Amino acid sequence: MNSRTALVLAAALGFAAAAPAQTVNVARNADIRSLNPGVNRDDNTDAVMLHMVEGLVAMRENGSVGPLLAENVALAKDGVTYTFTLRKGVKFHNGAPLTAADVLWSWNRYMDPKTDWRCLSEFDGRNGLKVESVTAPNPQTVVMRINKPNGLFLDTLARPDCAGAGVIHKDSLNADGSFKAPVGTGPFKLDEWKRGEYVKLSKFAGYVSPAGKDTDGYTGAKRPLVDAVKFMVIPDPATTKAAIVSGAIDTAEMLDSDLLDLQKAPNVDVQTTTNGVKEVILFQTRDPVMGKQKIREAISHALDLRQLVPAVTSGLAKPNPSVIHTGSPFYDETQKQGYRYDPALARKLLQEAGYKGEVIKMITNKRAARPSFNIALISQQMMQAVGLNVEIEVLEWATQLDRYNKGNYQMMAFSYSARLDPALSYEQFSGPKDKQPRKVWENPQALALIEKASASSDEAERRRIFDELHKSFQQDIPMLMLFNEVQVNAVSRRMQGFRPWVATKPRLWEVKVTR
Amino acid sequence: MLSFIARRLAMAVPTLFIVSVAVFALVRLVPGDPASLMLGDLATPAALADLRHRLGLDQSLPQQYLTWLANLLHGDLGQSITSQQPVLPLVLDRFVISARIVLVAVLLAAFVAVPAGMVAAWRQDSAVDLAVVGLSTLLLSIPTFWLGLLVLLLFGLKLGWLPVVGYVGFAEAPGKALLYLLMPVLTLFLHEIGVVVRMARASTLEVLRLDYITHARAKGLSEGEVMWRHAFHNSFGPTWTLLGLVLGNLLGGIAVVETVFTIPGLGRLLVDSIFGRDYPVIQGCLLLIAFVYVLVNLVVDLLYPLFDPRVTAQ
Repeated sequence: MNSRTALVLAAALGFAAAAPAQTVNVARNADIRSLNPGVNRDDNTDAVMLHMVEGLVAMRENGSVGPLLAENVALAKDGVTYTFTLRKGVKFHNGAPLTAADVLWSWNRYMDPKTDWRCLSEFDGRNGLKVESVTAPNPQTVVMRINKPNGLFLDTLARPDCAGAGVIHKDSLNADGSFKAPVGTGPFKLDEWKRGEYVKLSKFAGYVSPAGKDTDGYTGAKRPLVDAVKFMVIPDPATTKAAIVSGAIDTAEMLDSDLLDLQKAPNVDVQTTTNGVKEVILFQTRDPVMGKQKIREAISHALDLRQLVPAVTSGLAKPNPSVIHTGSPFYDETQKQGYRYDPALARKLLQEAGYKGEVIKMITNKRAARPSFNIALISQQMMQAVGLNVEIEVLEWATQLDRYNKGNYQMMAFSYSARLDPALSYEQFSGPKDKQPRKVWENPQALALIEKASASSDEAERRRIFDELHKSFQQDIPMLMLFNEVQVNAVSRRMQGFRPWVATKPRLWEVKVTR
Repeated sequence: MLSFIARRLAMAVPTLFIVSVAVFALVRLVPGDPASLMLGDLATPAALADLRHRLGLDQSLPQQYLTWLANLLHGDLGQSITSQQPVLPLVLDRFVISARIVLVAVLLAAFVAVPAGMVAAWRQDSAVDLAVVGLSTLLLSIPTFWLGLLVLLLFGLKLGWLPVVGYVGFAEAPGKALLYLLMPVLTLFLHEIGVVVRMARASTLEVLRLDYITHARAKGLSEGEVMWRHAFHNSFGPTWTLLGLVLGNLLGGIAVVETVFTIPGLGRLLVDSIFGRDYPVIQGCLLLIAFVYVLVNLVVDLLYPLFDPRVTAQ
């Protein structure tokens, strides 16, 4: 009797051992903050949460928005009425079918100030956009009406930091209305959260995947192919490296400085992808020195980005002068136009600006996962080479963020989190400084253009606006866009189907492991 | 004895009060805003103001301190800003994890380092002395994070004997828990034997030079008897005091080891809360560490007469 026959026989007699549960172990550098979607959250929390909850729409691979719990989304001719038709057969983790009434309940909960939803101000009119009514005319249809046409409405609904406005079931709450645990419709459901150690999600057997052969951002195929996903908290990058090489974890975001070592590891593949994080140098345009446009222009010509960018990213990233990420459908030839390296011109501009060697302080930090310190160091040398007297001030991140929010700096090496729609990306740093000191660009014409782009759904019109904005941005130079971050992921060779993407967060659906 | 303990505990109250004021003031002197950190680079002034109000950070500092102190007197250390958990159970849970590692490491270090230090002193300037002093100096000089990584690479990666990441509590699976604690304990043990060996050697050397030791030898006692009955008792006092200090120090300084070995202990909680400006947790951690420090030193003082009868607990 050969072994195969023996196995078949054993199985027939009920002796076969149960197949070992397939668990994907994922390293995260910090614990999640809570289980409450879009409330007490950070990037790690969103990454875990978006495996459990889903919204009506979600981000696609290229940063645009597509339907998720909705089968389709129709915008009426009035430009303010959105009709979402729900996908059939979708169930919550507790087995209850998804209906329009659930969407309505979930939305009303988010809009209740007591919920403390991070994105409440995005929809209650405080930032311009207001959802005036949400109705459920039948169990499969949700109608949302907004105050005025807004091209960013669906993008905002899909924002990961808003937990994609993920629809949760009433069972997510305790009897007293307090939050218990998310009962969503995602491919994985909550199994266990051990604070400071891990969050374990288990496969939702009743999951109904959206149509599509492949994963497409947070849309497309989303089948849970493994039994469980364990997000493990590993704060130290060196330990993360040891863990991936030893096989203790299956995937982790790594420092680019680890790239060479990882490429030599026999059981690990390295995947890189350019994401939407913006690495920039900010200028305080209200500072007496940095307020001079010619000095900022001189700095733009003094930096050789073809040297600087590869040097600070282990050769992975390429310069991008645009605040629109390189994978965006709006990233065209105009967006590629930036400043050329010209130290002679930089010197001439400094002379014209009347620069007399005043000290310029450049703030940076030493966070391991960010290139800010190296950017400051190399750019300081390049600026000194044209006669700029730049000093580096290294601050701890919380202190730097505080100075950023108060606008209390001359120059700063900074990283902006990913905003994939160009209008959101511009809005991230544009606005009146009197009201919001953290804002960097306060050109009124530019602000009007950003508002226009936010309101428009016409792709051609938006493209024209973004091209115009880019030219204006290059003219004003409120900050110097350097490059989009390249994310380095180490992936165990046991794992198939994992793919990093522009939104930076891991996706563990359509992923298999072999043990 | 009881009055001594009561007096020492009563003396701890003003100490802890001063610590609470100092910690509260220092934590808030550090630039950075928990609300900014929570909302990130998209924080609008309105959202920041709203969050600061909900966290009570818009109140004056004395008002914030008095509120905190009033709650503290009722046994309430507040709520974590980031995780929104009550601070007291949070820090106590984490303390238990750290204390287990620190206690085992220090006890092991004492069992190895004290005899080693005494032997080195007994055989001063010999090859044994040179080897013990050299090794202890080497171990003392290696930063714990690097030592931890070396241990991790050797036993976790190269030999594959021990799990590289993760933690299992003793209540869940004692055997497995032990496996996960071996490397952090070994790292701290290796680092601390350096400190203890040097103290044990120095204090033994001092005692060995005294007349009563010469007298003991002149009486014809064996070297073993001289070392154990006469030298050990009198030389162990300073080392015992040092062990108390090491224990207290480690509880605050174990963060690096906990970070390397992904142990969810008090040190890592403290460091994370400093980075996150989680004021109530920072205050809770530091107050607990200060209290433990006081307590450990009290125990050291109470047990001191066992080693040196000239000192009494009065």
